[in-house]
Amino acid sequence: MSAIIEVQDLSRSLPGTPPVTLVSDVSLSIQPATFVAIVGPSGCGKSSLLYLLGLLDRPTSGQVLFNGQDMNPLRGDARAGIRLASFGFVFQFHFLLPEFTALENVMLPMRRLGKLSLTEIQAKAQALLEGMGLGEKSTKTPDRLSGGERQRVAIARAIANDPALVLGDEPTGNLDSQNSARVVEMFRNLAHDQGRAVVCVTHDPDVAAAADVQISMLDGRIKETSVRPR
Amino acid sequence: MTGQLRLLASVAARHLVGRRRQTIVAVSGVAVGVGFFLAVSAMMIGSQNDFIKTLIDAAPHIIISDELRSPPAQPGVSLYKGAAINLRHYKVRNEVRGLKGWPEILRTVNALPGAIGSPSLSGAITLRSGGREEALTIVGVDPAIEEKVSTIQDQLRIGRLRDLESTQGGIIIGEEMARRLGLGVGDVVGATSASGKSRSLRIVGLFKRGQTQISSGLGYVLLREAQSLLGRPFIINRIGVRLADPYEAEPISRRLEARYAYKAESWQERSADFLSLLVTRNVIMYSVVSAILLVASFGIYTVVSNSVSDKRRDIAIMRSMGFSERDLQLIFVFEGLALALIGIVAGWLLGYGLMAILGSLKFPIAGEDQHLPLDRTARQYAIAAAASLLSGVIAAWLPARKAARVDPVDILRGAV
Ligand SMILES: Nc1ncnc2c1ncn2[C@@H]1O[C@H](COP(=O)(O)OP(=O)(O)O)[C@@H](O)[C@H]1O
Ligand SMILES: [Mg+2]
Repeated sequence: MSAIIEVQDLSRSLPGTPPVTLVSDVSLSIQPATFVAIVGPSGCGKSSLLYLLGLLDRPTSGQVLFNGQDMNPLRGDARAGIRLASFGFVFQFHFLLPEFTALENVMLPMRRLGKLSLTEIQAKAQALLEGMGLGEKSTKTPDRLSGGERQRVAIARAIANDPALVLGDEPTGNLDSQNSARVVEMFRNLAHDQGRAVVCVTHDPDVAAAADVQISMLDGRIKETSVRPR
Repeated sequence: MTGQLRLLASVAARHLVGRRRQTIVAVSGVAVGVGFFLAVSAMMIGSQNDFIKTLIDAAPHIIISDELRSPPAQPGVSLYKGAAINLRHYKVRNEVRGLKGWPEILRTVNALPGAIGSPSLSGAITLRSGGREEALTIVGVDPAIEEKVSTIQDQLRIGRLRDLESTQGGIIIGEEMARRLGLGVGDVVGATSASGKSRSLRIVGLFKRGQTQISSGLGYVLLREAQSLLGRPFIINRIGVRLADPYEAEPISRRLEARYAYKAESWQERSADFLSLLVTRNVIMYSVVSAILLVASFGIYTVVSNSVSDKRRDIAIMRSMGFSERDLQLIFVFEGLALALIGIVAGWLLGYGLMAILGSLKFPIAGEDQHLPLDRTARQYAIAAAASLLSGVIAAWLPARKAARVDPVDILRGAV
């Protein structure tokens, strides 16, 4: 199986005196159908690494390869295009657009991609929400949804364009244990049933325990990688 | 592609709906700007057109007179052209006043498509009646031609220009002059010219009061009457020309003057002072209107700028979703565009209403209740729209660039 994302000697530091190192010399590869958890103490650079993997940030040195292609030379538009078609983000805070209903939020990436007709997009968004157990809530705006419901809408939106890679930054950080468990189950399904690569930054031991691969970080470096046999 | 633009526009629309009060203020700014521009420019251009029409119609479009702009070269100088000679004490040749070779000039004028030339002779005479004397400039014309060339016919209170043809020794003078002489239509008045000739003339018509220089100092007679009274048979000293297109007057007059050397004055030249005044008026009008539109675009700038700062989180999430910098910039430009467009339509309605009100008002002008002359052409609507659209897009584009420059990572780091 070839890696979806591969990084080599990846470093990111913020300019200043002295420069702040966020990520240093990280090398890893992410395989399809795999649920990867990145763990480590607060401030060790987990989020920073995730932004680099998700092409939201550019490394100070080192490479990010997506499907074997070096992403460094690509301009912002091209990187946005890859995020649109191939990546899906889920953040700790739901980050839904407040003026749009749940359904419209899920439709946004599909409309931007423009591969389907509007009716197809609407039907697919509705199906995704139903898959999340939110069929009845699709016409509600985010302020009328509970925290757990919002996060499920955000997951539906993240996978709307069938991304090869789903990136989560503490997606359960704001949820109670019941909702957390649900999200973890969804992430496992995304990897194991739908064949996507899932990378999830987390504090939560339950999330980490559910992952196929655990990457532990400390001070911007990878301390340890453990693979759990399936 | 269009679907994606529609998507960006719909995001822009939701943003605006979310800040309704600011949106209404900004739209009103544009609407007031556009509305007042339409009302003011309708009045300014309307009165200007009215004024220019009066200028054009008041007298023939071109007047060829027996004046020379520069004194002609004396025969001695033209004989030794370019020679280093200095002639002094030569006898200056006096021209016999009058347009020499005028039938030829008239033929040239009449050969221009749609143009008519009316020859006339004017000169000073004295009118006498019951011991009263008044100086008068008589103009001898061919009424059938002159009434096609000038609006003199419209200046008559009583009678018609053609009445000169049907009455032996007829004259038309101004009401003012008639009052001073104590005479009316049908009365006979004595006329004496500088050459000593005397005649009895019968008043057949009166010019309206108000047109002072006509009413108090001019009298119209038949051309041959003037020629005989002034003792200048077969001579004319002026050709008035009416053109199919008055705006051709300038080049045609230049050509006529170059060809015949006689001064050919276009209505533009005659009214140069007034016309330059109109330019000043227009500069003032467009500066005021630009200022209004500028203020209107401040409203748009404020709305879009606030929208960008309020939506930084949304900008970050949209960027993470795969919207490009350009997409984000377009969303906020669309916000400005929408504000401008709604404002323009509202401004059109406002302007239309203001013009309807202005058009219904009557003002006493020169003793008569008149409607304001208004210019209500589509052109002004288009100018107002184009100017607002341009200023609106620029006003939105400046803050929209900030939206494109928002670094999603900065926002996400702060939020997570
Ligand atoms: N803009 C910044 N300026 C200075 N330090 C920063 C900035 N952003 C992040 N950091 C620091 O970089 C380190 C890595 O942050 P982050 O990747 O968010 O860690 P994590 O997600 O593991 O908590 C932290 O120590 C954080 O304090
Ligand atoms: Mg973090």
